[in-house]
Amino acid sequence: MAIIGQKLVSQIRETGWKATVAQRTDDAFTRFTAGLTWDDVRGILRGDPPAKPNPRVKPHTEGFWFHIRPTFYHEAVTTLYPTFRLGYLSALFFLIETITGMFLMIFYTPSPERAFTNMIDILTNVPFGSFMRDLHRLGAEAMVVVVTLHMWRTYITGSYKKPRQFTWFTGVILLIITMFLSFSGYLLPWDQLAFWAVTIGTSMADAAPLVGREVNLLLRGAPDIGAGGLLRFYLFHVLLFPLIGVVFLGVHYYKVVRWGLSLPPEMEAIGEDTARKVDQTKRVMFMPDIITNEIMYAAVAMAILAVSSATWYTAPLETHSNPQVTPLHTVAPWYFYWLQGLIKIPHILPFPDSLNMINKPVDDLFALVGLTPKMLWGIVVPPIIIVLLFAIPYIDPNPSRRYKDRKIAIGLAVAFELLILYLSLGGIPTGVPGTGFGYVGGNPVVEVAQEFIPDEGESEVKAIPFDELIVGKYPLANDPAIDEHKAPHLREIVRAIYADMEHRKHTADPLGKKMPEEAEGDVQVKLLQEDLKEFIITIRYIDENQSPQTFSKNAYIHKNSDYR
Amino acid sequence: MNLFYKIITFKPSFGLRIVTGLVGIVLSLATCGIVGLTDMVAAQLKTNDESFEGRLTEAGAKVYFEQCARCHGLQGKGADGAAPAISSVAFLGTKTTPSQRLKDIGWIGTLEGYIEAVTASGIPIKSSQVWEQNHPPFSQRFGGPLRDDQIRNVTKFVANWKQKPFTDGVVDAPKPGAGSGPQPTPIPLGPKENAGLEVFKGAGGCTACHAIRGIATGAVGPTLNKLASTAEKRVTQADYKAAGGKATDAAGYIRESILAPNTYVVPDCPQGACASGVMTANLDKILKPEELENLIAYLVTLR
Repeated sequence: MAIIGQKLVSQIRETGWKATVAQRTDDAFTRFTAGLTWDDVRGILRGDPPAKPNPRVKPHTEGFWFHIRPTFYHEAVTTLYPTFRLGYLSALFFLIETITGMFLMIFYTPSPERAFTNMIDILTNVPFGSFMRDLHRLGAEAMVVVVTLHMWRTYITGSYKKPRQFTWFTGVILLIITMFLSFSGYLLPWDQLAFWAVTIGTSMADAAPLVGREVNLLLRGAPDIGAGGLLRFYLFHVLLFPLIGVVFLGVHYYKVVRWGLSLPPEMEAIGEDTARKVDQTKRVMFMPDIITNEIMYAAVAMAILAVSSATWYTAPLETHSNPQVTPLHTVAPWYFYWLQGLIKIPHILPFPDSLNMINKPVDDLFALVGLTPKMLWGIVVPPIIIVLLFAIPYIDPNPSRRYKDRKIAIGLAVAFELLILYLSLGGIPTGVPGTGFGYVGGNPVVEVAQEFIPDEGESEVKAIPFDELIVGKYPLANDPAIDEHKAPHLREIVRAIYADMEHRKHTADPLGKKMPEEAEGDVQVKLLQEDLKEFIITIRYIDENQSPQTFSKNAYIHKNSDYR
Repeated sequence: MNLFYKIITFKPSFGLRIVTGLVGIVLSLATCGIVGLTDMVAAQLKTNDESFEGRLTEAGAKVYFEQCARCHGLQGKGADGAAPAISSVAFLGTKTTPSQRLKDIGWIGTLEGYIEAVTASGIPIKSSQVWEQNHPPFSQRFGGPLRDDQIRNVTKFVANWKQKPFTDGVVDAPKPGAGSGPQPTPIPLGPKENAGLEVFKGAGGCTACHAIRGIATGAVGPTLNKLASTAEKRVTQADYKAAGGKATDAAGYIRESILAPNTYVVPDCPQGACASGVMTANLDKILKPEELENLIAYLVTLR
C-alpha cells in the first residue's frame, strides 16, 4: 500500500491531479478493453480509419475472448451470403439456452414427485418464470432449425471439402448433440407429452439387437421410465450433453478460425488455405466492423425470440405423466417425425402395397435371417444415414465447389430433403395426404371424439368460454337448438362435430374405414360444481356385427382454466 | 433472383448496424420490462395460478368419477351407511370455515389437509358406528391405487364443492355423538322376521350383492339399510307410477322389486343411470312361497 500511495503522490506532485486522474482512468479502461485506449474506442465508434500500426488488433493479442476470434475476415464473407450467420446463431442459441436453462434449474427438482409441481410453480409463482420457460423451449426448437440449416448451407456451398473435412465431422457431432440436448430436455416437465415422447424414443433403442435391452436399461435406469430415468435424462441434459457440446464447439470453432470462413464457391479452389493470405484491400477488420455486425445479428435474433416468447408462443404443458394411460396419437418431437415415418414403412423394400407380389417374398426371405422391416428401417437405416453424414467430405470425389459442377450432389441433397419431408409427414398420425402412408386411425367414431376432445393438448371444446356452456342436451345437427347470440362458440362446435361426422360417413379414411351411415349423437353439458362443468360427446351407431353401440367421451371444464 | 441476390449480399453501413443493434437491444429489454410488469404489477402470476388451480381441479374430477363416485355418489351426496355426503358444507365445511364436525373430531389442520389425509391414508381406526367400513387408503404410499399428484387433484375437486346442507335424507351431518356413542339398538325381530333374515343370508343369496349394516357387505346392488322408508317414498313418486309400478305400500314395493325387478329401475346410481336386468329375476323359482313371505317380512323392518 505504502509504495502504491507514494507513487500516486509523486505522480500528482509531478503532473497535477487532473492529469493523474485522466491517466489512471485511461489505464484502467485500457486494461478492461485488453489494449484499447479511450481515444481508440471513440475512434471506432465514430468510424474513423485506424492509425498505423492499427491499435485495434491489440485485444486480439492481449485478451482471451478476442484472441479466439480472427483479427479480420475476407470481405466476401461479411454479407448474409454465403454463411447466413447460421453457425454464429447456433453458438448464440447455445448461450441463450445455457442462461435460460440455469434460471429454470434453480426452480427444478429432477424427481417424479416434484418435477410437475415445480413446472406449475415456475408458471404461477416465479416472476419471469413462464417467460424464461418459453424462451428456453422456443430457443431449443430454433436451435435445432438453425443447426440443421447450417449443415444444409455448408453442404450446398460445398464448404465441407478440403481443408475443412474435419470441421464438417465435428459439426455432425454438434448436430447430434443439439438433437439429444433438445430431446433430453423433453422429459423434464414430467407431463404426458414428456413421458410418452421419451418412452417412444427410448423404445427405439430397445429394438436394437444384442445391446438394445442393456442400452435401454442404462438410459431409463429401469425397464420403464421412472425416478431413475428422469434423473438420468436430467444429468444428460444439464451435464453430459452440454459438456460434449462445449468440447466439440471448441474444436469446431478452432477449425473455423484456422481455415477461415469458406469464401463463396467461385472464389476459392479446393485445398487452398485462404485464411492466411487475404489481400490487404480485401480485409475487413474484426474491430469495429465484424463485431458491430455480430452484435446487430445477436440483438435482432434476441429481440425476435423475446417478443415471440412474450406474445404468441407458449411452451406446452400437458397433464401430469401417467404411465398407465397412453394418450391417443402420441408423437415424438417434430425433428424425429422422419424416424417415426421410417418405422412405419411396412416392407423390406419400400414399394407400395400394389407390388406385394414382390414385397412378400422379399420380406419372407429376410425374416429367415431375423430381419424384420421394423428393424431394418428403425435400427439399421438411421445409423447408416448418420455414418453417411459423417463420411460426406471423405467420399465426395468432386474436386470443385462450384454450383454448376455439383449438379448431382445438390440434386441428391434436394431429393434427400424431399424424402425426409415425406417421411416426416408419414410420421404424424394423419399420414401423407393423398397417399395414406403413415395414417394411424382407429374407429372413425373414436376419431371424431378425439378431434374435438383430444386425450392431451389443445382442444377446441376446452376453449369454449365457460359462460357459453349452457347446461343441456343438444342433438348433433347442422342447426342445433342453441341461441346464436348467447353461445356462438358452443353452437359452432356442435355444428362442427356434426359436419365432421357427416364427412366421415361419406369419405373413407386411408384404411378404408367409414363412419356407420345411421350414426347419430348429442352433446351434453352438465353442471358438476358451481364453477365446474362437464362436456360430453355421445355417438350412437350400429357396428359391423349389427349390434348397437354407444361411445362417449368427456371433458371437464373449470371456469378459471383459461385454455387459450 | 437479382433482388434476392442483392438482399443476401447487402452490406449494412456502420450507422445502420449501430441503429439496428440498438433497436434490437431496446426491444429485448422492453419486452423483459413488460413481462416483469405484467407478472408482478398486473398480477399475471395470480391469473396463471387460478388457471392452473382450475386445470388441476379438472384432473381431480376425472379421478373422482373413476375412484370415488362409486361410494360418494355423482354429486358427492354419499350413500346411506356406506359413505358420507362430502359435497355438503355441513359435513366438511368450506376452506375458510371448516365444519363443526371437523372441530368435533379434533382436526386442527386445514380443510384441504383433512381431505388429502383421509384420501391418501384412509381412516386407520374404526372410530364411528355410522359407516359400514373405514375409508380405505388411496395413495400408492399406503397400498392404494393413486399417485400423490392424483390425490392432490382430487382434493382440489372435493374442496371445490360448496353445497348447502342436503335435506333429502342423505347422511351429511351425523347426529352429535354418533361418532363415539353406543350402537343404535336394533329393532327386535319376531320369529317370522328372523326366518326371513336367514333366507336373506342363506337360500336367497342376497348377501352376494346387497349390503345391510352389520349383516352383509355386497357392493353390486343398492345398500338396504333403510329399504322400507325408501320404498314408502318411492311408491308415491310419479316416475314410479309412470314406469308401471303397482305397489301402494313398502311391502308391496319390496315384493315387486324381488319378483319383477325390472319394472322400475332407479335412475340415480353413483355411476349414472342404473342398469336394468342386474337383479336376479327368478327368485320366485328359487325360494318357496313361505320363504319369500318371511324375507319380505324381514326387509320391511329395515327403516
